[in-house]
Amino acid sequence: MNIHIVAITVSVAIFLFVIELVRRERLTFKYAVGWLLVSAGAIFFAVFYRLLFACAAFLGFELPSNFIFFALFCVFVFLSLLLTVFLCQQNNRNDIMAQKIALLEFELKELKKKLKIE
Amino acid sequence: MNASSEKILVIVPAFNECGNIKRTLEDIRKFAPGVDILVIDDGSQDTTAQEARDAGGMVVSLPFNLGIGAAVQTGFQYAQRHHYDIAVQIDGDGQHDPSFIDKVLGPIRRDAADMVVASRFLEKTGGYRSSFSRRVGINFFVHLINALTGVKINDPTSGFRAYNKKMIGLFSEYYPHDFPEPEAIVVTQQAGGRIVELAVVMRKREAGSSSIRYFKTLYYMVKVTLAILLHMIRQKNRGKI
Repeated sequence: MNIHIVAITVSVAIFLFVIELVRRERLTFKYAVGWLLVSAGAIFFAVFYRLLFACAAFLGFELPSNFIFFALFCVFVFLSLLLTVFLCQQNNRNDIMAQKIALLEFELKELKKKLKIE
Repeated sequence: MNASSEKILVIVPAFNECGNIKRTLEDIRKFAPGVDILVIDDGSQDTTAQEARDAGGMVVSLPFNLGIGAAVQTGFQYAQRHHYDIAVQIDGDGQHDPSFIDKVLGPIRRDAADMVVASRFLEKTGGYRSSFSRRVGINFFVHLINALTGVKINDPTSGFRAYNKKMIGLFSEYYPHDFPEPEAIVVTQQAGGRIVELAVVMRKREAGSSSIRYFKTLYYMVKVTLAILLHMIRQKNRGKI
């Protein structure tokens, strides 16, 4: 029964940690949602572990632990894919901004030259 | 340059080209006196920007290295903002001979093309024709692009090109970033642009080393092929010209 308590404690701790990160503005809502959902799911299954075992048996996993590892693996693959999407988005925005800044800087220099401020 | 009413911008992307840039700019001045020259300094750590400025070019310095595609695109964005009629792209490494600029402009001026690609391989013109392994790679792209679009460009990696106003508009919005030359042909063709290829003679680069030398040719081929294929399955049509 101890493992049951450990599982609940850890999943609640992760959940609270995510909330704390949002509260301290270290995580924005957009990025916190995924983690909140995952940790809420973990709490749910830690409490209703019989449901988890039933799911595992229904899906044909010999051991419930295999099912847990498999599910976790899927979640992480999905999360990292999501993070890559955000990364690409940031990368694109970075490039566009660098181009804009470079052009504006050049035009500003030219303007200053024209106005003989320098 | 004869027709003085048209505004022409020569875009010179340059990344650590301090040994070559001055001569390239002087040659452009000599062979194409009426054009504006815009050097895109792609986050160089040497004196490229200063040398280009001293040689009389306008220099836009990117705050950090963005890669050739984004650098060239910055040139299109400038051309678009300042209403240029024609843009010419020429590498800063001295490989492209500016004496061919007038020839490359021809089809654009006659409105026979939206984009002109200067080619080493169109005729047996001599000059620098790249190493064997790279020619195998280039040949692969010739066939890939031909199979995908029906267009046959003999030198799809050539970065010596000319563009009309429509292409400036299209590419200032969207231009492939990583190894852009072959993909840009596909983008142009899909947008309904007319591509004309012209024979030129190219030189071996004078100082420094090409950025592609550091990548294995095979790796380059795989990457560009993937980029082109991924472009083909893109949902969003980047607009017609």
